[in-house]
Amino acid sequence: MAEPGDESHVAEPLDLVRLLIDEVVCVKLRGDRELKGRLHAYDSHCNLVLGDVEELIYVVDDEDADDDQIRTVSRKSDMLFVRGDSVVLISPLAQS
Amino acid sequence: MSFFGFETSRHNATGAGFSQAHDPFAGLSNRDDEGEALEFEDTYDGLGDQLDETDDAFNDDTFGGDSGPGAGPVGKDFDFFGQTSKVADAIDEEHVIFSRQQVSKPQQPPAPEYSRGQPSYQAPYGRINEPSRPARTGYEKYSQEPVGELQVDAALWGVAPKKQPAPSPAPAPAAPTRKVLSLEEVEAQMRAQRKPAQPAAPSPAPVQQPTSQAPAAAHSAHGLPIPEHVQTQPGFYNEQPRYNEPQHPHAQGHPVTILQRPQSKPTPPGQSHAQPPAHQRQPSSGPVQPTQILRNSSRLSGDAAKIGVPSHPTPPMHPQHPVHRQQGSFSHHPHMVLHPTQVAQLSEEEKAIYLEQEAKRAKRNHKIFQMSRDNGIMTPQDKNFVTRIQLQQLVTATGNPNDHGTDESFAEDFYYQVHTQIQGGQRQHPSQPLNNFAQTYLFQTGSRQGGLRRHNRGPENHMQRMEQQVQRAVEAAKNKPKNKQLVIEGSLGKISFSNAKTPKPLLNIKRNESTGDANRPGSSHKHSQAVDGRDKKSELKSIEKIYSLLMKMEDHDRVMPPPPANDSDEEGIQRFVPWRDEAEALNKQLWTALRVHDRPAQNGLHPFIALLSYSKGKKALPRIFRHTSQEQRTTILTLIVVNLDNLDVVRNAQAGNIQLNAAMRENVELFSLSVMSTLFNFMNELELDLVAGVLGLVCTRNVDVIAKSRIGASMLTMILSRAEIIKHAGTSEQSWRSWDMAYTQFFNLLEPSLPYIFPGTVTSGEDVYVWQLLAALGIGASPEQQQRLVLAVKDRVMETVSLAKTLPQDLAAQRLQNVNLFMRSIGLDVELLQ
Repeated sequence: MAEPGDESHVAEPLDLVRLLIDEVVCVKLRGDRELKGRLHAYDSHCNLVLGDVEELIYVVDDEDADDDQIRTVSRKSDMLFVRGDSVVLISPLAQS
Repeated sequence: MSFFGFETSRHNATGAGFSQAHDPFAGLSNRDDEGEALEFEDTYDGLGDQLDETDDAFNDDTFGGDSGPGAGPVGKDFDFFGQTSKVADAIDEEHVIFSRQQVSKPQQPPAPEYSRGQPSYQAPYGRINEPSRPARTGYEKYSQEPVGELQVDAALWGVAPKKQPAPSPAPAPAAPTRKVLSLEEVEAQMRAQRKPAQPAAPSPAPVQQPTSQAPAAAHSAHGLPIPEHVQTQPGFYNEQPRYNEPQHPHAQGHPVTILQRPQSKPTPPGQSHAQPPAHQRQPSSGPVQPTQILRNSSRLSGDAAKIGVPSHPTPPMHPQHPVHRQQGSFSHHPHMVLHPTQVAQLSEEEKAIYLEQEAKRAKRNHKIFQMSRDNGIMTPQDKNFVTRIQLQQLVTATGNPNDHGTDESFAEDFYYQVHTQIQGGQRQHPSQPLNNFAQTYLFQTGSRQGGLRRHNRGPENHMQRMEQQVQRAVEAAKNKPKNKQLVIEGSLGKISFSNAKTPKPLLNIKRNESTGDANRPGSSHKHSQAVDGRDKKSELKSIEKIYSLLMKMEDHDRVMPPPPANDSDEEGIQRFVPWRDEAEALNKQLWTALRVHDRPAQNGLHPFIALLSYSKGKKALPRIFRHTSQEQRTTILTLIVVNLDNLDVVRNAQAGNIQLNAAMRENVELFSLSVMSTLFNFMNELELDLVAGVLGLVCTRNVDVIAKSRIGASMLTMILSRAEIIKHAGTSEQSWRSWDMAYTQFFNLLEPSLPYIFPGTVTSGEDVYVWQLLAALGIGASPEQQQRLVLAVKDRVMETVSLAKTLPQDLAAQRLQNVNLFMRSIGLDVELLQ
């Protein structure tokens, strides 16, 4: 089954990301943000283009010093370009 | 190379010296007749054998036992230092006096020096006997000596050779002043003394002659050619050679001193000062010029002659060499001239010649001195060490030539590679040059050693060891690449060696070879199975591979040459055939990547069907169909039909589920867009018997599940409608009959499910595809089957019609139209129901 010139051989980490192209991925970003969307494109800097993105921003409300509640702000965008330097991790969406 | 050479020659000299320090002449004699070697047995007197080591008889005497006669208080007899210290003052005084004398009597200093050396002859050379002294031998002065002084000299000689005569008288005045003289002072003195020098010089000369002569005579039987010259000679350069000549025989002992110098560094500073004043004075006073160098050189000259080594590594020795000879050669002539008085008497021409020669000599000597400044800084061991390091670096830097391709080695040093290739045609590969180098080196050193040091056992062993080390280094370098990495049991990674060529990788995780590419899907399957029974990663990888192959094939199609017009189009055929072969190869790869013929996974899901569960897998299908043969397409269609109820878009989108989630809707939409349309186009080319076969396959599956999904229903509609079209076009009786059988079987299977295949409620209005299926069914149905059809879906029809009455005009018309699709197929119309 595996040809001698198997091109899908994983030679570098980003080859794994390639497998996720056109799949829905979870992207964790710096600044307590998470993205969930379809991965359209990426490059070696982990710059990403995502489609149908849902962005989750975790915000800690400092106003109530007693119980710092974690609030999530959600945003949606049809298409999103993510600069690679903010990407912490990329993972396939856990199958549900 | 000179470095190596230096090492070898040096080395032997030292070896002899070290081992035979007590008898400097032993080595000499040894060298003279090379056939002889000192044998231990010959020289050993056997006294050691007579020792009675078992008996303790005299222990008491030795160590002062209680009962022994020496039991009394310990005496102070052993206080050597105390004894010496008493005398120390006297010694110092003597020194002071001595130096004063020198100051006051400029001409005298040389005398004491020589006389000193005379008595034992060992005084100069004798350091060998005194362990502490050897250190100071002559070299210290060189290091201490201000370099500037010599440079001044050089300028003097070089720039104004005319002043040459001046130096001759100079020594006398220079000595008293010692080092303090500056260039101006020297010049002033010279000028001042020029006139008086002529008369003055002769007088001191005779005085000193006896003294100087004596040592010379004592040194050797050679005898000094002209004692006069030795002393009086202003240009010590001339003097030295002569002085040295007699010493040649002893010269061999000398190397020791030179070589020892570095080791004797630790000598206390006080001692160095205490050293013969003559030595210290030397720097400043020309005549007293360090004899050491010259002695060495003389020795060397002898050595060199014997060895026949053209290039001597030690810089000082080498240059010195010619000087000596030259002097020897024309010494007879200048001899006469040397004397200051004689100089004065010379004709202008002769003077000029003489001065010129003097200048040359001075330059040379100066050069020699400068080069010899650092002599002996390194011990033979040091040099050995450095040599080895260099060799090893050389070998490792070149790495294993077998490793690099020819190109790489050429890039590294093109000219050397080409050169070696031209030189030796028999060298097959680039590894040769390196080995050649090493061997050349070894050979050279070996031959040298063989010629010269055959009898110095110590050094020889040393050389052998070194050769072995070199060979080992070469060997090691050759072997290195074979085990570039060291895998330690139980470690997570490898320890890898590095060199210039292959830097050490910081992270190197060993891949388990047993689970190579071939086994990977299977092995990883186990892991992913725990999650959902599928090997998602390998599926995704397959899809990636399919896409890259598709892109290749599309590229390949672009360069398709025009097919040969006819059989005689040779050129066209030649161009077309390779292209076609390539296309076939790609097609084969693609077919493999599609995994159509793979066995279903353990959960029963066929790998190809699994690919279709990915949106990109679905999207790939139209492109796949463009690059596959009819047969392959049929296979794919069959595969999909056989697995219809396994498709996620069928299985997970059953009509019973009231609401499909957005993702599944999208999925279904995409499937119908890409896969269904592709299959539809393909099916439109199929013959009836094939369509019948497909329907028969459907019957083997769970028709209920298939029909309850939009995709499944569409697929059935597609099959049925295609059959109807073919039927209308007219087919053979046989295929018609086979179709009829398949249809009947299918109808019977589907009939019970018919009431339940409608998605959602009547109001949702998503049941178009169901009406389409029913219509397709109705067209092909027999009257009896039509009856059953109407009975099965009657409720739904009535509900829809009644609902349409409550809906706005547009929507109502649409709904009724949908229903009418079916009604008309069985020869009815919604109008009849209203």
